[in-house]
Amino acid sequence: MGLGKSPNPILFPMGYQLDPSIVIKHLPLFLKGVFLTVEISFFAIVIGLSIGILAAVARTSKFKILNLISAVYVEVFRNTPLLIQIFIIFFGLPGIGIKLSPYISGLTALVLYVGAYNTEVIRSGLEAVPRGQMEAAKSLGLTGVQAFLYIILPQTVRISLPALGNNWVSLVKNSSLVSVIGMVELTWVALDLNALTFRSFELFGAATIFYLILIFILINIQNFVERRFAYKT
Amino acid sequence: MKFDFDVIAKNLPYLLSGVKFTIALACLVIILGTFLGVIFGILKLSKNRLIRYPVSFIVELTRDTPIIMQMFFIFFGLPALGIRLNTFPSAALAMSFFAAGNTAEIVRGAIDSLPTGQFDAAKSLGMNYLQMMIYVIIPQALRRMLPPMMGLFTTLIKDTSLAAIIGAFELTRAGQEIIERTFRSLEIYLVVAAIYFIICYPLSYYTRKVEKGRVTGF
Repeated sequence: MGLGKSPNPILFPMGYQLDPSIVIKHLPLFLKGVFLTVEISFFAIVIGLSIGILAAVARTSKFKILNLISAVYVEVFRNTPLLIQIFIIFFGLPGIGIKLSPYISGLTALVLYVGAYNTEVIRSGLEAVPRGQMEAAKSLGLTGVQAFLYIILPQTVRISLPALGNNWVSLVKNSSLVSVIGMVELTWVALDLNALTFRSFELFGAATIFYLILIFILINIQNFVERRFAYKT
Repeated sequence: MKFDFDVIAKNLPYLLSGVKFTIALACLVIILGTFLGVIFGILKLSKNRLIRYPVSFIVELTRDTPIIMQMFFIFFGLPALGIRLNTFPSAALAMSFFAAGNTAEIVRGAIDSLPTGQFDAAKSLGMNYLQMMIYVIIPQALRRMLPPMMGLFTTLIKDTSLAAIIGAFELTRAGQEIIERTFRSLEIYLVVAAIYFIICYPLSYYTRKVEKGRVTGF
């Protein structure tokens, strides 16, 4: 309120009174939104990574049919907007009898979308692991699955980490889109409060800052993990 | 529920009228974003901190926040500053800043990745900054910028769908309007997705070709 009484006439020529107290008043709601954004992003990161690994293995496998399925999956989800994917899952699928809650719909769309991007990253990571690694593992008596899990996969993830990190940053930003189907995350909270109070400047400004903080934390975690797993020379 | 092809055939012209706006928006954003982004990218490499820090701040702000947040801020928030924009210009402005931020990072990365010998050699030939940039640095950087820039363009075309959230008329909004009349969500959204795919797939296919060509070309 203190700031509200002395509006800056140059910054706000329309006589708009900046009132940051609106954000502080609704801070619990904002934090709830932040929490849900973090939660859905976390689940999407974990599940999306698994899908990425599975689809990348399918993509590089000798079986033509697996290869084709994975390629179609990646191309379809990478070349259509996430918003439309969310709409198809939430509004479209009930048409054929599949009704999903906003939470599940949003998460499914995010997971499939980030999974497609992860697939491409992990596939090039798989190809970057030298062939000799597999041969060495096999000559040590490891089975194919063991060799993949203990020798190939850790190296692949290490190589792919920087690019995966980019995908995760995009994912946190993209999680804002699930607000359109009514998931009460950060963007939804800002939109809802905006509809109630018309304090757009403060509310969207606050939401922007929350996103900046989230992304900043994510980038730092990613840098830490990258350093931790870097090749020691 | 039976899949209704009739509703698709009947409404396809309306969807295609939306495609025009999607393409117009994408072109506008790509041109404006690239122009701004190249300027930002070069300014980001400036040795003067008074230039570098504010530009870096803008770049990070646009890269690290969701596009729809930027759209809401411009569409709902800017009227507080006395700037009232329609839906389409709001979407275009927000996306242009997003494009500029990402382009700046690509430009900076490409110039940074050039060997320092290129800069030294250009200077030792007596070139000034502008000559060095135009004749030596930019042509080489362009080649490295091409694949990520094309990837960015694909992303931008897909992200034009977000303009529908603030109500700008383009392909996604056209689809929503048809669904409000016909209640045929699945059919219409699948067609909308197919149209986006038809626009984006050739671009991303070509991007991959360029990427591969570049690897063997160097």
